Amino acid sequence: MEKEILEQGLNHNRRKFLSRLSLGLGSAALGSLLIPGLFDGRKEAEESMMRALPHFAPKAKRIIYLFQNGAPSQLETFDYKPLLQKNFGQELPESIRMGQRLTGMTAGQSSFPLVGSYFDFSQYGQSRAWISSLFPHLASVVDDLCIVKSMHTEAINHDPALTFFQTGAQVGNRPSMGSWLSYGLGSENENLPAFCVLLSRGKGNGQGVYSKLWSNGFLDAKHQGVQFSNSEDPVLYLSDPDGMSRDQRRKMLDQIAAMNDLSYQQFNDPEITAKIQQYEMAFRMQTAVPEITDITKEPDSIIKLYGPECLVPGTYAANCLLARKLSENGVRFVQLYHQGWDAHDNLPNQMIGQAKDVDQASAALITDLKQRGLLDETLVIWGGEFGRTNYCQGKIAPENYGRDHHPRAFSIFMAGGGIKSGIVYGETDDFGYNITENPVHVHDFQATVLHLMGIDHEKLTYKHLGRRYRLTDVHGNVVKDLIA
Amino acid sequence: MTRPSRIISGLENLLFFWLGLTTILIIGGNNLAIPAFLQVFGRLHPLILHFPIVILLMGIATIWIKEQTWKDAGRMFLLLGSNFAGITVVAGLILAAEDYEGNSLDWHKWLGIISLALSIFIYFLVKKPNLSQKTFSSFLAICLILTGHFGANLTHGEDFLLAPIQSKEEKQIALEEAEIFGDLVMPIFETKCISCHKEGKIKGELRLDDLEALKKGGESGPFLVAGDPENSLFLQKIHLPLEDEEHMPPKNKTQLTDEEIELLKTWVASGASFDQKISELEETSPLYILASQKFSAQKTYEFDPASDSDIQSLNNFFRKVKPLHPESPALEVAYFGASSFDPNSLKDFKKIKNQVVKVNLNRMPLEGVSLQFLEDLKNLEELQMNFTGLQPDQIQVLEKLPNLKKLAISGNNLGPESMAPLSKLNQLNYLYFWESGLSEEQKKELQKNLQKTKIDFGFNSKGVILALNPPKIEFENSMFGDSAKIELSHPIRSAQLRYTLDGSEPDSTSSLIYSNVIFIKESSEIKVKAFAPEWIGSSPVKAVLFKKGRKPESASLTHEPNPKYKAQEVQTLFDGVKGKANHTSGEWLGYSEKPFEVILKINPQAPPKQLQASLLLNESAYIFPPESVDLWISSNGTWKKVKIDSPSQSEKFGEVRYELLKYELPKESFEEIRLTLKPISQLPKWHPGAGSKGWVFVDEIFIY
Repeated sequence: MEKEILEQGLNHNRRKFLSRLSLGLGSAALGSLLIPGLFDGRKEAEESMMRALPHFAPKAKRIIYLFQNGAPSQLETFDYKPLLQKNFGQELPESIRMGQRLTGMTAGQSSFPLVGSYFDFSQYGQSRAWISSLFPHLASVVDDLCIVKSMHTEAINHDPALTFFQTGAQVGNRPSMGSWLSYGLGSENENLPAFCVLLSRGKGNGQGVYSKLWSNGFLDAKHQGVQFSNSEDPVLYLSDPDGMSRDQRRKMLDQIAAMNDLSYQQFNDPEITAKIQQYEMAFRMQTAVPEITDITKEPDSIIKLYGPECLVPGTYAANCLLARKLSENGVRFVQLYHQGWDAHDNLPNQMIGQAKDVDQASAALITDLKQRGLLDETLVIWGGEFGRTNYCQGKIAPENYGRDHHPRAFSIFMAGGGIKSGIVYGETDDFGYNITENPVHVHDFQATVLHLMGIDHEKLTYKHLGRRYRLTDVHGNVVKDLIA
Repeated sequence: MTRPSRIISGLENLLFFWLGLTTILIIGGNNLAIPAFLQVFGRLHPLILHFPIVILLMGIATIWIKEQTWKDAGRMFLLLGSNFAGITVVAGLILAAEDYEGNSLDWHKWLGIISLALSIFIYFLVKKPNLSQKTFSSFLAICLILTGHFGANLTHGEDFLLAPIQSKEEKQIALEEAEIFGDLVMPIFETKCISCHKEGKIKGELRLDDLEALKKGGESGPFLVAGDPENSLFLQKIHLPLEDEEHMPPKNKTQLTDEEIELLKTWVASGASFDQKISELEETSPLYILASQKFSAQKTYEFDPASDSDIQSLNNFFRKVKPLHPESPALEVAYFGASSFDPNSLKDFKKIKNQVVKVNLNRMPLEGVSLQFLEDLKNLEELQMNFTGLQPDQIQVLEKLPNLKKLAISGNNLGPESMAPLSKLNQLNYLYFWESGLSEEQKKELQKNLQKTKIDFGFNSKGVILALNPPKIEFENSMFGDSAKIELSHPIRSAQLRYTLDGSEPDSTSSLIYSNVIFIKESSEIKVKAFAPEWIGSSPVKAVLFKKGRKPESASLTHEPNPKYKAQEVQTLFDGVKGKANHTSGEWLGYSEKPFEVILKINPQAPPKQLQASLLLNESAYIFPPESVDLWISSNGTWKKVKIDSPSQSEKFGEVRYELLKYELPKESFEEIRLTLKPISQLPKWHPGAGSKGWVFVDEIFIY
């Protein structure tokens, strides 16, 4: 036995070892041919994916997402249902509801009386789209709009629904849509963040928005949305403290960069170079941001276009104007949130106020982009996280009623950026409860938006905790019918 | 000799039989009439052919092995393999008489025959060992592989083997250049039909790889009838049920998609043109709509890409140069950051002058900057120069850009002088010219000069009358000592602000005009409205400011306030802090069951002249004006009535607001003041709480 072991050991001489080693090398070489990137570091593999982006010629370069937080009622905006007005106060037929779930706010109601829009509807433009009298300005640009009446979502409460729209998952730990685009396409203008966030609040019943909605999730922190505030300091911590000159700041950054560079040479951690780059970007932002937030150079007609509110920082109109300026300067994704659409009661009154906030400025943004020749490369999206019920919540009167959350059918619109213009897509039943034609799921919407930006939603992935994540999770189909 | 050798000799003899049969078939060629049963044998060719390849290659391999056992086995392999080769060649020659012809077939046929001859030759050569056997067998191996390759080409298509490693780059075709037949129809034939209908494999005598042959059709008749999809043979076959023998493509091949069938049908219906361009179709025609879904609006470019290093060197933080998309040679250039703009950097375009199709110079200060660099950009299609301070003489260079399709020059106020140079730009499809500085007539004239250009003159603010937003009132504190400073502002600089201090509505003619700062010395309600030409006046905004009063010697409340709203009790009334407009802020005394009653002791030497009570009103929170107000004074223990008042009651819901009750006091000496505010005992009928008690909220009592 001992002899055999010795023999075995002696047989493993250098020549044999080397010749067998060559076999191993051969199989490794084959492996690398079969699985490209097998021996790449993760970073590089991702970078090579980045070089391939966009996956195809994009139709839109930038997005402005006008999120109507709190869920505006589709029945008082774009989904005209005369039957509900006719059948005022009648019970919602079980054949329509089909036992679908309700929120805890109305599930206990003994009756579900139908209630039609307090506001009149008319048809506009070549598409003859129905739009309520609350939105005269949007009605005037209807031929630029692509109204989708057949959106549906999975969540029934604000926070999960909002998170779902923005991140593709109801639980908040995933990157936001803007972060995915920042990751996938980067910034056009390296002196500004790729993803900016603007908040405003109407007088209607509001629902909170939290910074997790513009979180980078597991992506690199540089893809996080940068919130612009309406204070004197639009980007927090960006201005130099009093008494510090730009030269001093430059010197300081140079010194820090030199030290960072030393530690990079020692540790080779790419995070260190990322840090240096971020300091540099902040330095450039110090001049780029004031150039953009300064509205004094805007012509007077702009104020008439957006309405005088646009001069009051923090209003929706001011944010629309700022969004246009950011987008024009190459910001990939501008995310607005306008709060106050959650009209569980006193809906007509609340809608009047909310519509007044957003109607003129939303339409103005589209007109403004158009007259600069930018609308065809900028996608504007307007919509909430779900719709509202066709039955009344609480006390019912023709001029005073409320509506609960309704995820089964709601309306949004898009404009510009390679989307078809002047069309109305999808249809709901006469009760405005269920979709009867061309349903568009939130993931389909996300896939379509990415498609317009030149991205195959199945290919924009990031590996985290052992699996590859996408904005559309494992779902989503591009709605080709919406693409011009 | 034993049995095995008889088998061997039998097999050896068989070899010559195959050789002979092969010779006959070659000589007979196409003149042979093949009986049906032999056709079946012929069609076994694709099955049998694998045997000779494998067995012969194994035989060849043994030649290199020195061990005798392998050598013996090797001879058997060669013998068996040669026989299979014989069967294969014979079957192949019979099959070839069917529908095959062409280069690949010839190579396949002759190489196959050579392989057969060689394998037999080597077999006998090995019997008598010879040095050249290794040479011959290597040659045989090569022949076998090549034969197989050409055979595979026949069944799977010419590029079958190398297709996966050949670049799959799909040609991007722009809609405006695409041809109906060449770019829409032919690709379908190429992927789904042509492998069986082409030179070398003409099934049904139909060739689709040649336009003339296609038009002629096959054995069953013409391929199509233009304009008549119903009677077009190929569409009929496509529409047959899958099980039908005549169905095309055959059951086991990749089928046409619904979209493709629709496209072919629409093509035939629209006249089956072979040279029309898609752009020549009506935009509403079904074929155009189908085609527009297929092709991007993206153009293809003929020119070579710029070198990566050139592109790299031109990129910096303030200028982005990048391809339209990763595969495109066309470049777009965008400038950012007006304050970092260097006019000299425009000269850098030279390096990429052929590739630049899109330039964005929005907001760059271009006034007085030479734009001659544009002249070289012959492929430039889109140019954006909004808000750049552009002058009319600078745009003359644009007429030298033959491919310029889209021009954005909004916000430059170019004025009438720009009419002449712009009118020459009839190459444009789109012109964005908002804030043009042109009159309505001039706009019309420009549109007339540029017939095919879509001009967007943008939003015209003339005649748009909107209401101004309310002005802003700013002051330090709503309670002041001797005087208060008030500042008014409005975001629109041209707006005129008019105000009143007596609570009346400001108007645009007689009210005070705000110029600088306002100082007030008395408690006042300031109301402000903004006015501007071509605007509707704003809604009023107001603010109430309170002058701090004297402190009484002492004060006491007759009744305890409601425990929820007791604040600092009586101290609250004289703390000099104005309550916020919210009754739950802890700065308000609230009364509902019992009336609010306060007794103030004062110095009789200097009695106050006036008393004011600051109240909160908020109907939706049941807070109303008091039902009645009783004001008494006492001197030497005798109470004397000063005023019994019942303030006007609310008639509808209003905003949360302050109310100030003011009462003059008698000009005489007194020691005490008693103020009683009785909450409304029955809320009015229009209120949801009709009939129940209302509330009174007080935060401050002023005596002056």
